[in-house]
Amino acid sequence: MDEFKTLSGKPLHPEARKMQARFNAGQIDRRGFLRGMAWLGVAAGAAGAAPGMLRAEEAPKAGGTLRFACQIQEITDPMMATWIESSNLLRNCLEFLTFVDADNITHPYLAKSWTASDDLTVWDFELDERAKWSNGDAFGPEDVIFNIERWIAPDSQSSNKSAFEAITKVEKTGDNSVRITLSRPIASLPEQLYSHTCAIAHRGFQGNWPADPVGTGPFSLVSHEVGRQAIFKKREDYWGTPAYLDALHYIDLGADITTHLAALSSGQVDVLYRATIAEFDLMKSLPNIQILTGKAAHTLAIRMQVDQKPFDDIRVRKAVQLAADNGQMLAIAYRGEGDLGANYHVSPVQADYAPVDAIARDVAAAKALLAEAGYPDGLDIELTLGNTQGKWEQDTAQVLQQNLAEAGIRLKLNVLPASQYWPIWDKVPFGVTYWAHRPLGTMTLDLAYRSGGAWNESHYANPAFDEALNKAMALVDPAARREAMAAVETILRDDAVLVQPYWPNRFSAAAQNVRGFVLHPSDFFRMDGVWLA
Amino acid sequence: MSLGRFLIRKIAVAVATMVAVSFLIFLALEVNIEEVAVKVLGQYSTPEQRAAWLLQNGYNDPFLIRYFRWLGNFVIGDWGQSTYFRAPVMDMVLPRLGASAILAGGALLVIIIFGLGLGVLAGMRPGSVLDRMISVFSVVTTSIPDFASAVFLSGIFVFWLGLLPGASTMISGFSLRELILPVAVLGLYSMGYLARVTRASMVDVMGTHYIRTARLKGASLSRIVLRHALRNALITPVTVIMLQLPWLLSGVIVVEVFYAYKGFGTLLYDAALNQDIYLIEACAMISVLVVVLSQILSDLIYGWLNPRIELGAKA
Repeated sequence: MDEFKTLSGKPLHPEARKMQARFNAGQIDRRGFLRGMAWLGVAAGAAGAAPGMLRAEEAPKAGGTLRFACQIQEITDPMMATWIESSNLLRNCLEFLTFVDADNITHPYLAKSWTASDDLTVWDFELDERAKWSNGDAFGPEDVIFNIERWIAPDSQSSNKSAFEAITKVEKTGDNSVRITLSRPIASLPEQLYSHTCAIAHRGFQGNWPADPVGTGPFSLVSHEVGRQAIFKKREDYWGTPAYLDALHYIDLGADITTHLAALSSGQVDVLYRATIAEFDLMKSLPNIQILTGKAAHTLAIRMQVDQKPFDDIRVRKAVQLAADNGQMLAIAYRGEGDLGANYHVSPVQADYAPVDAIARDVAAAKALLAEAGYPDGLDIELTLGNTQGKWEQDTAQVLQQNLAEAGIRLKLNVLPASQYWPIWDKVPFGVTYWAHRPLGTMTLDLAYRSGGAWNESHYANPAFDEALNKAMALVDPAARREAMAAVETILRDDAVLVQPYWPNRFSAAAQNVRGFVLHPSDFFRMDGVWLA
Repeated sequence: MSLGRFLIRKIAVAVATMVAVSFLIFLALEVNIEEVAVKVLGQYSTPEQRAAWLLQNGYNDPFLIRYFRWLGNFVIGDWGQSTYFRAPVMDMVLPRLGASAILAGGALLVIIIFGLGLGVLAGMRPGSVLDRMISVFSVVTTSIPDFASAVFLSGIFVFWLGLLPGASTMISGFSLRELILPVAVLGLYSMGYLARVTRASMVDVMGTHYIRTARLKGASLSRIVLRHALRNALITPVTVIMLQLPWLLSGVIVVEVFYAYKGFGTLLYDAALNQDIYLIEACAMISVLVVVLSQILSDLIYGWLNPRIELGAKA
């Protein structure tokens, strides 16, 4: 145990000792071990890689301007960011208490260390005293308290309100320390503090960040024009390790990814935010670009609102699940480039995933359930979708349409433009919603399926599920957590809330001279470690 | 009818058209004030915030009063605030209109020079090899819609040959290279169509008695074409060219979106996608204005080309 020390210098958490014993006995894998140790504020030397640093072997070169193709959206309030793209713009100037790398290991950031009480309900964060705001103010506990209180305020519209509803108190305990008290144990609190809505704004923040773009981050905002471009320049007075790039230009190239690739191919941009399966062949044919691929826990949730007819009858929901052919949706709509889903919205790439079997497709059983539910002649339902991530969403829905037809379910597709889908994503009885990656299954489930959760679009409410989720969220030990998650996943699967067909692989592309750009599974792109060869 | 009276009459009709269309636009977008409040304040606004905003902005007044107030504000240049771009609509629309005018102007130039040129060349000697080649070219370009030719041209000149930029954002200022592909896409379709119309018109004119007389008098072909045939042969093509103006305004949407060109087309597209109510209203009004102005302009050009056509005469 000698090689492990807490970042704060305080004694190791009892769970850390138990975990090391299980790790030494080969009962938990290295990554799960490192993740769990990081949550408990252990400076696991092996957790090593500096956040967001390059993985290239060449010596990094400072200077240059990197052009990043992505949608330029409005950035007003960091806690209200609903698109990852807009949170990435803020990420250049605003920082987080913790940083979660592409391997889902949590590192210090604005908080240099943290310790948890034995029961994981009291968390002490030690803030980095070097951190400074761009307006010259020192960063301190007041900033953290100001932000967390805004997140969980009764009138807060942020998804943080639900994600951190267990926070009962946040208080200053020293010049550079804060204490967060929870109503129930949450082992992954440090990891959750890197959610895209958790950027820490200045204590004097008035609600419109570009109007007074004060930040602690390595870049400062030069200009921001919705639908056009955003320009950032390197901060020479940055408190931490300075960025390599002199400037960052984010350019809005519209929604057509082919245009993004054309711009990349002709040297007009250096990095693309995202590509989809539709452009995969084109990407492979371009000799002058790097293709970036990866797996992540992002998916389409084809969810049913359990309090809306006809989905208030579990037999109808089960019939939909039984008639859906997840394998066919993956094979046709995403050309097999991904992993199968099993309708419980936890991915094999998430550390707390427990392999719970999918229920096999059975069209005859689906028909029987429909007849039992009072629909012997089939059923007419409408599925609303917005192709928010690309045409593959509609392709998936079309395969589902054919699948359901076999069971007598006549599915009508209501395809909306992406921007028209988001305002109603949680209102339609049957909808296709893209869910971004989260490092832990519990984080997604807590947001999307907990009774009364802010983003609970299916209106699912099951106390047994909530209880099982609470239990899983309180465990640090990866093996114990997985065991608890098996129960959570089984409840969700058996309550037939959604068809979650597959986990699509992620694609992006960059120019050949871009170094250190890491395809983060959550698309949280920190640019301070990126440089141009 | 004198030119002055003609213009007064045409402008009166244009104004009446604008007023009628403005009423329809306002009716479609602002009849439901609750929806207006949601679009302006966002989905997450509270009912109290919406009610206060509606009261503060006079939305509780009767519909007609709201309409005339909106029309009055529009006339004096107060076009409201874009809810998506968070900027005054007037400041958004005018530069974008300028950018589209450059694109459409370039395309029109290509259409006129190549369309008329090819049409005249083909019509001078009907049935010749040149005529047949131009006819085939015209049919091919007219048959390919702009979204398809955008893909083909990008495939060839961007991905394959690597000669031209793939996006035309003009973010770093005006770039002629970035203009080539969108202009080419817009130009190709109409160029072929104009060439066919010009050819047919030219063939008709070349068969008339006065052209035969000119030939018998020993005039050269170039003199016959340039001095005698062209002016009369242009009347029909000019109709086509003038029809291109409103078409270009809508045609640029596809091309601008494909090439990420920040013009009026992408602005209208973004406004529609994001239900940016005041921006949609302004874009719709501008579109109607362009159409009515192009009609007046085309009438004037007809009169100049053929003085026998009386300005404002009923067909």
